[in-house]
Amino acid sequence: MDMNEIKEIFFQECEEQLAELESGLMKLNDGDRDPETVNAVFRAVHSIKGGAGAFGLDDLVSFAHVFETTLDCVRSNKLEPSQDVLKVMLRSADVLADLTNAARDGGKVEETRTRGLVKELEALARGEVLAASAASAEPPAAKPAPAPAPVAAAAKPSPTDDSGFQPIPFSFDDFGGDEPAAATSDPAFEVTFKPRADLYAKGNEAALLLRDLARLGEMSVNCNMDALPRFEDMNPEGAYFWWVATVRTAKGEEGIRSVFEFAEWDCDIEVRGLEENVESDMPMTPVPFDLAILDGDGSLAADEQHHDDHDHDHDHDHAHVAAAAVEAVHTAQAAASVTQAARSAATAAPSAAAAAAAQQANNVAAQAGQTIRVDLDRVDRLINLVGELVINQAMLSQSVVESDNNGASSINMGLEELQQLTREIQDSVMAIRAQPVKPVFQRMSRIVREVADMTGKQIRLITEGENTEVDKTVIDKLAEPLTHMIRNAVDHGVETPEKREAAGKNPEGTVRLSAKHRSGRIIIELSDDGAGINRERVRQKAIDNDLITADANLSDEEIDNLIFAPGFSTAEKLSDISGRGVGMDVVKRSIQALGGRISIQSRPGHGSTFTLSLPLTLAVLDGMVVTVANQTLVVPLTAIVETLQPEADEIHSFGPSQRLISIRNSFCPLVDVGRILDFRPVAADPVEGVALLVESEGGGQRALMVDAIQGQRQVVIKSLEANYTHVPGIAAATILGDGRVALILDVDAVVAASRGQSLKTETALAAAG
Amino acid sequence: MAAKKSATSMKLESVLDLNQASALKKELVAARGKNIVIDASGVERVGVQCIQVLVAASRAWEEDTRSFTFSAISDAFSRTLNLVGVNIDHLIAKESH
Repeated sequence: MDMNEIKEIFFQECEEQLAELESGLMKLNDGDRDPETVNAVFRAVHSIKGGAGAFGLDDLVSFAHVFETTLDCVRSNKLEPSQDVLKVMLRSADVLADLTNAARDGGKVEETRTRGLVKELEALARGEVLAASAASAEPPAAKPAPAPAPVAAAAKPSPTDDSGFQPIPFSFDDFGGDEPAAATSDPAFEVTFKPRADLYAKGNEAALLLRDLARLGEMSVNCNMDALPRFEDMNPEGAYFWWVATVRTAKGEEGIRSVFEFAEWDCDIEVRGLEENVESDMPMTPVPFDLAILDGDGSLAADEQHHDDHDHDHDHDHAHVAAAAVEAVHTAQAAASVTQAARSAATAAPSAAAAAAAQQANNVAAQAGQTIRVDLDRVDRLINLVGELVINQAMLSQSVVESDNNGASSINMGLEELQQLTREIQDSVMAIRAQPVKPVFQRMSRIVREVADMTGKQIRLITEGENTEVDKTVIDKLAEPLTHMIRNAVDHGVETPEKREAAGKNPEGTVRLSAKHRSGRIIIELSDDGAGINRERVRQKAIDNDLITADANLSDEEIDNLIFAPGFSTAEKLSDISGRGVGMDVVKRSIQALGGRISIQSRPGHGSTFTLSLPLTLAVLDGMVVTVANQTLVVPLTAIVETLQPEADEIHSFGPSQRLISIRNSFCPLVDVGRILDFRPVAADPVEGVALLVESEGGGQRALMVDAIQGQRQVVIKSLEANYTHVPGIAAATILGDGRVALILDVDAVVAASRGQSLKTETALAAAG
Repeated sequence: MAAKKSATSMKLESVLDLNQASALKKELVAARGKNIVIDASGVERVGVQCIQVLVAASRAWEEDTRSFTFSAISDAFSRTLNLVGVNIDHLIAKESH
C-alpha cells in the first residue's frame, strides 16, 4: 500500500470522524451530557489531528489542536457546553471539515474565518480557566486533592516566604474523573515512552499523552532527564525527557497503546506486563491462566495452560494459528483502516486462537471483524453480475417451461429453488449498496446553520430516522435537491424571530427532516413550522408569469403545487441563499429523475411539509410491461397514476392532430407512444389500446396510449448509454425472461415531445444543460 | 529560601506551549548570571518543552550559584509538573542554596 492510498484512507476516516464530531456536538446541543458523547467528540478531533500530523498537514493540525484544547476543557468539566459554546464548536467543526477538504483537494480555506474561530476557541478555553480559578483552585469535577492546603498557599504570590515550596502531593485521581478508579487487581504494565522532537512539532504534547495514560487507571511516573543537555546547548524545541510509567489498568496493553495511537510514529513506546505486581495483588484469582495472558508471551503460555496434556507439537500448531490469525487481522486492519488501527484490540477476534493471541496484537481493532471497506466498483460489478444471473435464470426457466409440459419434473423443481436463491442473492447484494441516509442528513445541519446565520434566523434542525437505509446512488443524488429544499425552508419558510414572536410562536424555528421506509420505498419528509405557503402571493406570481389565467379557479393544493412549476420563484429579491433563481421545479425534476415523487402540504401560519418518496435502489425498477407496435416497453410504475380503457365517446379531437381524453369531467391530452417513438407511421386508434395516466414534470397529467399491458414486473436496469448510446425517449433497457431486450420508457421525455418539442431537441437541451 | 535582593523577576506567559519554548529560553538567557524569581501564577498550560527549558535553566543557575526561585505557581502549572514526573521539590531544591 503506498502513501497515497494510506492518505486516501485517512481522508475517508476523516469523513467518518467529522460525521461523528457533528453528531456528537448535535447531541450535546440537545442537552446530552453523557461523558461518552464528549469523549467521542474529543476523540474525533484528536484522530483527525493525529492523522493530519502524520501526513504533515499543518493547517489542519494547528486548527485541530486549538479545537481539541477547547474540547478538552469541556471534557474535564472546566467548560460548560452551553448553547453559545456549542455554536462556536459547530462552526469549528465546519471549518475543520473545510480544512480537511482543502487538504484533500488542494483548495484553500478563508484564513480570516479560521483565524477568527481560533481566537474564539482560545477565548473559550481561557475564559473558563479564569472563571474556574476565581471560583476555586480545583476544577469542579475533580476530587479534592489529598492535601490541598499547600497548593493554595503556593498559588498565592509570596516572594518573602522563606520556607519556599512545599512538596505538592499529587493524585492522579484528579485526571481520572471520568473513569472508575482502578481496582488493585488490574494488571500492571511498565510503559517506556520516549518522544522524539517530531512528536512536539506535529502538535502532540507528551504531557497530554501522559495525562491520557493516567486516566486509564492508576499510574506512577518517573521522568528521565539524563538526556537533557546543558542549558546553553539545548534546543528549546528538542525532546530530551523520557518516561517510565507504571500503569495499573483493566484496559490492558491495548488500552495503553491506544493512548499513543497517533504519536507512535514519533516516539518509542515499550509496554511490558509486570508479573510480580499482579502476583502480589491478586490473592484470589486463578492465577496461572491470567498471569499467562499478562505476560509478554501471553498467547503461547495461555495455550500451554489449556493444553497441558497435549503434546508439544500440538501447542506449537496452536501458537502458529494464533500468530497467523494476528497477522491476518493485522493485514485486514491495515487495509481497512489506518487511523482506527490502534484504537482497541480484537476482544472479539474470530477464533479462540486469535482471542488468546489478541493480547499480543495491540493494533487490532474490534471493528475489524464487523466492517470492511470495499471499492464501490467491485460492488457494482457484483450487482451487475447478479442482474445477469437473474436474467439468465429467468431465461432458463422459460425455456424449460416451453420444452417440458410436465410441470412436476425434477428440473422444474430445481429451477424453482434456483429462482428463490437468485432472488435472495439479489436482495443481499442490493443490501450491500444500502447506506444510512445519516451522512446526507448531517450535511443538512450545516446548511441550516449557515443559512440561519446569513438570514439572522434561529433555527433548530431535528432529524429522525437517520439510520434508514437506501441505495448509495440515491443518497448521492439526494444531497443536492435536499440542500435546495432545506435552504428554501430556512430562507422562505421560517420567519424571522421578530415575526415569529409577533405571531406568538417560539422565536426559534424548527425544521424537521425525517426518513422512513414505507412499502418498499423511502419516504423523506421535510417540514418547517414557518408561515406556510402564501397562497395569495403564489397565485399572483403564477398569473404574472402566465402560468395560470387571472380567473383560474384553483384549489389550495393546486396553488401549492404551482411552486413546482418551471421558473417559478416567489422570493421577492433573489438571495444568493436559495440559489440562482432556480426554483422547486429543479428539485422536482431531480427527484423524478431518481424515480421519485415530491408533494407538499402547507397550512398557513403553521408551516409546510414536503414529502419525497424515492425508490430504495436504482438497480432494479418496478415497471409495467406494455406492448407498443409489437415492441415490448417498460413504463416505470412510479410514473403511472392509473390505467384505463378509453371508450370511443371519451376521445375528443383537438386541433389537427391532438386528441384529448375526458376523465372525470376533465380533459387530458392523449399521447400515442408508438407515434412519438416512431414505432408506427400513423397514430393508432385509442379505443383499441390502453391509456396509462402519468404525471409529468410540469405537474400536468398525460394519458400515454399503448396497445396492451403484459403485466407488472421488477426489472434489472441496464444502462443504454454505457452499452449502446443514448436513445431519445428511452431511459434505459432491461432484459426480459425470453432474452429479448425491452426498453424502459423515459416518461418525461415522451410527454415533453408530445408538447411539440421533438425528442431530438429535448436531447440537445439535456446535453446543453 | 535565599531570595536575594538583586533578584530579577520574570512572569511566565499563560500558555507555554511549543511556540513559547524558544522565547522562554531567550528570556532566561537574558537573565543569566542574576538571581531570578519566576512568577508562574498565570500559567494555564505548559508543555514538556518549556518544562525542559526551565529544568535546564535551573541546573545552569545552580552551576552559576545563583538562585532560581518561583514566587508563585498556578494550579495548572503544578499539576502538569507532577503529571510528567518533574518533582517540584527537585526544582526548588536547586534554588534554596
